Amino acid sequence: MTATLIEPTRGLGFGARRRRSRSRAQLVLRRIRDGAIVLFLVLTAIFLLGRLVGDPAESLAPIDATQEEVDQIRANLGLDRPLLTQAGEYYSGLVRGDMGESFVIARNQDALPLVLDRLGATMRLTLAGLLFSILLGVVTGIVAGVRPGSLFDRVGNFLALAGVSFPYFWFGQILILIVAVNLHWVSVLPDGGPKSYFLPGVTLGIHHGGRLFQLVRSATLDELGKSYVIVAESKGLGYYAVVMKHILRNVGLVVMTMVGWEYARMWGGTVFLVEFTFAWPGIGKLTTDAADFHDFNVIQAGVVVAGVFVVLSNLVVDLLATVVDKSAEAGT
Amino acid sequence: MTRHTSAVRLLAAVAALGLIAGACGDDDDASIDSPEATTGATGTEAPSDATGDTTAPAGTDATESTTAPEETDAPADDAAPLVIAVTTEPSTLDAQLVNDRNSRVFTANIYEALLGRNENVEVVPLLAESYENTSDTTWTFTLREGVTFHNGEPFNAESAAFSIQRMISEDFDTQRTSYIDSIVGATAVDEYTLEIETDGVLATLPAQVTQIPMVPVEGAETLDTEPVGTGPYKFVEWNTGVDVVATRNDDYWGDPPAIKDFSIRFISDNQTALSALQAGEVDLVVDILPEQKDLAPIVKSVPAAEFSYIAFNTYLPALSDPRVRVAFNMAIDKETLADVVYEGEARPNDSQNLTDAMLGYNPDLGPIPYDPEGARALLEEAGYPFDEVIELNVPIGRYLKGEESAEYVAEQLRAVGVNIEIIATEFNTYREDGRIPGTEEGAMDLKYGWNSNEFFDGGRILSHVTCEGSSSKICIPEVDELMELGATSLDQDVRDQAYQDAWALLHDDPYAIYLLQQNLLYGVSERLQWEPRQDDEYYVSTMALTA
Repeated sequence: MTATLIEPTRGLGFGARRRRSRSRAQLVLRRIRDGAIVLFLVLTAIFLLGRLVGDPAESLAPIDATQEEVDQIRANLGLDRPLLTQAGEYYSGLVRGDMGESFVIARNQDALPLVLDRLGATMRLTLAGLLFSILLGVVTGIVAGVRPGSLFDRVGNFLALAGVSFPYFWFGQILILIVAVNLHWVSVLPDGGPKSYFLPGVTLGIHHGGRLFQLVRSATLDELGKSYVIVAESKGLGYYAVVMKHILRNVGLVVMTMVGWEYARMWGGTVFLVEFTFAWPGIGKLTTDAADFHDFNVIQAGVVVAGVFVVLSNLVVDLLATVVDKSAEAGT
Repeated sequence: MTRHTSAVRLLAAVAALGLIAGACGDDDDASIDSPEATTGATGTEAPSDATGDTTAPAGTDATESTTAPEETDAPADDAAPLVIAVTTEPSTLDAQLVNDRNSRVFTANIYEALLGRNENVEVVPLLAESYENTSDTTWTFTLREGVTFHNGEPFNAESAAFSIQRMISEDFDTQRTSYIDSIVGATAVDEYTLEIETDGVLATLPAQVTQIPMVPVEGAETLDTEPVGTGPYKFVEWNTGVDVVATRNDDYWGDPPAIKDFSIRFISDNQTALSALQAGEVDLVVDILPEQKDLAPIVKSVPAAEFSYIAFNTYLPALSDPRVRVAFNMAIDKETLADVVYEGEARPNDSQNLTDAMLGYNPDLGPIPYDPEGARALLEEAGYPFDEVIELNVPIGRYLKGEESAEYVAEQLRAVGVNIEIIATEFNTYREDGRIPGTEEGAMDLKYGWNSNEFFDGGRILSHVTCEGSSSKICIPEVDELMELGATSLDQDVRDQAYQDAWALLHDDPYAIYLLQQNLLYGVSERLQWEPRQDDEYYVSTMALTA
């Protein structure tokens, strides 16, 4: 459990402290630059991988097409040109915000608007997932950390482990069966109403909240063992006052970072699988459809948009970290 | 670690509970295989808003549906709309452009062609009242009068000619090319007379015409998002990522359909679609798996025009001897394959990729009997090189249980001494490799696949068995002659006999290991009355809902 703690703290607590002296603008610029580099590498990999693995012309061609017919379709799509030419067009398009047209799943429509059209649905789902992650992970994690070894702690640990270890889309299916099919509390398929967010949100919450629980619990536990707590208590401060005043503030920074980290992980993939399970009309469903038919441009546009959100969430976390860090410093 | 295992155990228990709860949800979840045996259940799962009024139908309304049962209690218009679940969103709603089922489920209800198929998949007049073959290469169609498109435009020979020209145009890039590539032109003779020109004698022209949806001249550019046809339903809206909605066309030229509104819902995960079916949010789930039969309130299945096979590269020296290929057929227990891998939702095919309803079906042929000893003896007699590795190619995730079937076949071939190796590849790669001619480096030795037969006609199989066929790896000149005769004669008896003779030749000199005729399986709600069709079409006008 301590091992998992190392991962998220890497970029935040220590890093933020080290960079404290630098101006915030510098930090933002650096993070944007790093993010752009990562995006560039990912996009290059997607570009090459897509072309290595599949061919949209085959998806478009009639099943008993001859080689000539397939070649003709490939030429019509411009995929018969040298890879470097295609790459050049791809990168220059990227700069202009033009990611090409869909070849298969929405023929001749621009890929980027297709993806942006679905952005709102995905965004709302990630926020629902974030809310449930905090409810299921952070609050319980602090309680468990304050009362280690209690029944609450043991049950929480067990459920958190389950949430982390089991495939969340499978949890999603179980939730659908119990909550929607048998209890009829909500509908299986999203209908656009607020209740639609419940099942997919909880599914995300179980997975990400499980991780948060583990991390928050051990952070709280660590904090409780520190000498200042003992000192504070020895000074006559009540236990709960210590918890409320010092621990929450110190744990808060770590928690915020972890929450941001989990949010980035949603954009890194988990929300898309949850969309698939819940027939959610977001980017994930669009790009998995696109992947089925090797519709390169749509896949690439989907990856760009998701990647931007991963980078952005990391950036926000870093900024918040510096703010909290400074105020924490000022407070002591 | 112990904590971990106990966690797993408890979770498994929770999961099992969930599954049991799910399975027990419908006490009357009879899994019914035969299409005849329909509901009879009380329909407790019907959504509350569907209970509506009980005013008996006037009786006249229900006459239209050819397959839907008559005793529909209340085809009330205020019933919850019919919802059909498909896995993938259509790429376009322009029916002339694509041929994937996900689009067709919707567009087949919006557009109509000059000819259609009845429930026995025979070609029948639709927007044409009659047609005749007026010369070797000319067909004259007399069109139905008084039909209008949903946009108000009258349907006539001009729009029919426009529709055909649009679809055969070079720039149009339709996925249906191979169905219509022998049609070279269409002209309006007068307001309701149309002439279609072919580039030779074309016996399957009526079948090809069923594949050409009629579109209006006005608004043809925007059909991909705003479909307009003459069909019993008209387009309402397309909610991207969610569904596409249609409502009854009150100006329809034929009998009005019983169901007022329907939508096609896109649900990628089959399991979710079945849950929605159980919860009463969906009425029809297209394509469920044999192992999911217990999850649907009602299961319907139909023997489809889908045939699984493993094609030989007969140019490969090891497989060139017909005795070797017959022996491969003898080595496979197709009965068990159907029963075990497909849970009975398939049957050994009669060594021809045709159903008995199709032109060219040879009633004298049957499955080559399972006889492993005989197969081994025949291979030895033919001097088969047992040490040579033969590769069996199968695409990943394309055909229902394709990989399992290939595995099963490979195991049985190994049992008679054949040295076989399975190559599983992504579908597009498989397709590309599948076109490498048999005589060239890299050609597939054995290729697992399914044949469909949209024309319900022996000629459809041409490209697999003729010397020049695009995916053929066999050359039997007599078969080519018979196929040519079948394709060009206009005498149906001559054609029938030609294809029967061709299949007789291919029985003794097989181009493939003939495996199974597959069933299509559907999950159906208790309120939906509908019988699946072997042509894999979904006409909402033939469906009805009970209250």
